[in-house]
Amino acid sequence: MKVELGPVTRLEGHLNVKTTVENKVIVDAKCEGEMFRGFERILQGRHPLDAQQITQRICGICPYAHGLASSYAQEEAYRITAPANGRILQNLIQGANHLYDYLLNFYQLSAIDFIDVTAILKYTGKDRDLIHLRDWVKAKLANGKAHAAAPFLPRLSGDYVENTDINIGALKNYLVALDIQRKSNQASAIFGGKFPHATSIFPGGCTQEARIDLILAYKALIEEVRAFILDTYLPDIMAIASLYPAYWNIGASKGGFLSAGLFPLGADQDGKRLFSSGYVANQTAATAPFDCNAITEETAHSRYAPHGPEKLAAGTLVPDPSRGYSWIKAPRYAGQVAEVGPAARLIVSYHHPEDQRVRGVVDGYLKKLNLTIFQLNSVLGRHLSRGISATLIADYLLEACEQLTPGQPTMAAHKIPATGEGFGLTEASRGALLHYLRLRNGVIEKYECVVPTTWNCSPRDGKEVPGPLESALIGLHVASPEEQLESLRVIHSFDPCLACAVH
Amino acid sequence: MDEIKIDRRQALRLAAALGTMFGFSALPEPIQAALRPTTAESVPKIIYLQGLSCTGCSISLLQTATPSPLAYITTYSNLSFHADLSAASGQQALTLIDSFIDGKDGEYYLAIEGAIPAGMPEACMIGSKPFGEYVAAGAKTAAGIIAIGTCASFGGIPSAEGNPTGSISVPAFLAQRHLDKPLITIPGCPAHPDWVWHTITHLVKIGMPELTKSRSPKLFFGGNLHNSCPRYHCFQEEMFAEKLGDPGCLFKLGCLGPITFADCPTRWWNGGRTWCIDANAPCIGCASPTFALRKDFPFYRTESESRTTS
Repeated sequence: MKVELGPVTRLEGHLNVKTTVENKVIVDAKCEGEMFRGFERILQGRHPLDAQQITQRICGICPYAHGLASSYAQEEAYRITAPANGRILQNLIQGANHLYDYLLNFYQLSAIDFIDVTAILKYTGKDRDLIHLRDWVKAKLANGKAHAAAPFLPRLSGDYVENTDINIGALKNYLVALDIQRKSNQASAIFGGKFPHATSIFPGGCTQEARIDLILAYKALIEEVRAFILDTYLPDIMAIASLYPAYWNIGASKGGFLSAGLFPLGADQDGKRLFSSGYVANQTAATAPFDCNAITEETAHSRYAPHGPEKLAAGTLVPDPSRGYSWIKAPRYAGQVAEVGPAARLIVSYHHPEDQRVRGVVDGYLKKLNLTIFQLNSVLGRHLSRGISATLIADYLLEACEQLTPGQPTMAAHKIPATGEGFGLTEASRGALLHYLRLRNGVIEKYECVVPTTWNCSPRDGKEVPGPLESALIGLHVASPEEQLESLRVIHSFDPCLACAVH
Repeated sequence: MDEIKIDRRQALRLAAALGTMFGFSALPEPIQAALRPTTAESVPKIIYLQGLSCTGCSISLLQTATPSPLAYITTYSNLSFHADLSAASGQQALTLIDSFIDGKDGEYYLAIEGAIPAGMPEACMIGSKPFGEYVAAGAKTAAGIIAIGTCASFGGIPSAEGNPTGSISVPAFLAQRHLDKPLITIPGCPAHPDWVWHTITHLVKIGMPELTKSRSPKLFFGGNLHNSCPRYHCFQEEMFAEKLGDPGCLFKLGCLGPITFADCPTRWWNGGRTWCIDANAPCIGCASPTFALRKDFPFYRTESESRTTS
């Protein structure tokens, strides 16, 4: 039977997944990106400094990653680099954004696939928020009208957690996480100007000063977020993992792993990063260097004029809604499908000779849970990878605060050249992000973005090879072919962002 | 610029329509002094749909603390559907949306984030239907429409020059389809959470707020940003930032405060901790009707090497 999962909720934007199910097993899955704006066309002919503002509006969940990728690309084109303070402030802005995003994915987007929200009706404790929620749901259900208790009910049927204490604890943390994500965003906005959509990020640094009062406020907020990550978020991931161990082996994608590298540790954006960039072919224990020229995009099944693999500098954008099944293009790395995101970032970093610190931390978790590194390529593996990334990032941010020199510059002066080009690479919370820009007559002649969910929700390519999420769904057993709670668990583990994927 | 003029009589009619929706008919004045108590029954239901958007406004709505997001979606409104929060998914979500849009689930308010691809309906689909069709159908059954963010209010970046989708704002779409409905626009890229939540609360507790001619609440969008900027004295004393990262008035760098109407200088962002100009970042006019629309109107004025015109 054919079942459409769209609109898939609890993710960014407009995703449909068309599945074919036989004997309760998914035998085919097609990811359809259903929203297109045409950013690359909108940017053509504009002043290049508009780009780090406009591209942030590709995605209001991870805008800073776009602002930074654009700034890095412009720095390359302008042949400038940020002063040490400026680079650190950029990292502080982006890092706090990662932390909030991981919490949002786990508590608000994914946990509802596991936690039984009706457990709130059995609550007998004294927590005011939970009492409020319990009474609200009770009153709504009592009035007997359809959809009265939305947005919390209805929900899909399935094997939710049965333990009331775990359910209640998770619901409480759902509410606490709302407060913690706000604090993380407040921290990034201290230097970013506002969240979402920072105005202080520029090629060459950040316009906000490295002032002691700002640094202290930032640190205090991140310390609070870090405590929640260690004391609550990681234990909650472990609690779900202990109840659903099968999901260490469910939802694996069938390609390689790509990371663009995160947090330059010096002023030079091409220097050593906290998480190194690279590509790991599936089940091989080696990281190959990241090569922008190995990336192509094609449109065999996408809603654009048909073309084979195109390098970014030669990329085209001619929409044709009558074609294909998705607005997402099919990006490939050296012709191969690649998963990006927290799991891919850790897999790449783990196999990178310079990332001993990351390897050590990851090894600790793998040992404790008796897992192999490639089991991070799974539903639970992606959640654990977010948790591990969160701890590493929180630690790094607190250290980086100490490396700021108050009073020293945070912005490099620059002049916009008439011609030039540049690549900007970073890790958004959802994975490898690449911006490319080329200038002519001092304005943007060409702009290309290859965004995390472009990789993960890619449609089939010209050789009919499915994208990572498609391949992770094919073969999945579903208890109810009509509802497919299991598919939602797989989809949410990738944390798709469709506004990013298509842009 | 396409501005919709609204006179006092129309404002009263809007207020009366909204008053009916919130259960207090024959509202004598658009603004009443006394706050109304709300119950689980009287609080308005909101169906929140996204078009050509980035979800930035939705994420912004979560950046509120006093009250909390939970209070806003259960006590001051009942957020019956939001794609980012709803437990319901797929067919279940479509059934829920459709039953409201078809007018079968009682009174509701339609909140729209994002623009509408009027020239290419396939550029935004929910289920098998174009997003625009939900807006058109909702405009007939909803008690009112709140356009959230600059894309929904004025068109914003999806509607910028050179866009391939023929994207337009919610007011422009309603006008194109000859649909008349009480409408409030809350611009900003993103919209500030206070602007949205306080407007909804105002509707619930007091009634229709006073609106500007672009149908935005005067309380937040009535004043000029430059005039209330804490660096206005720098402007008067000609203490100008000469390059990015400098303190002082950012006017020479292209700050769009003088043409922007929003209360950022007094409200600030992210819990009152910060805002663009405090971070030495020029205002880019993200709440303006003209935001980002023209390729030849860049956000900043900075030094360039000689530009050729070939």
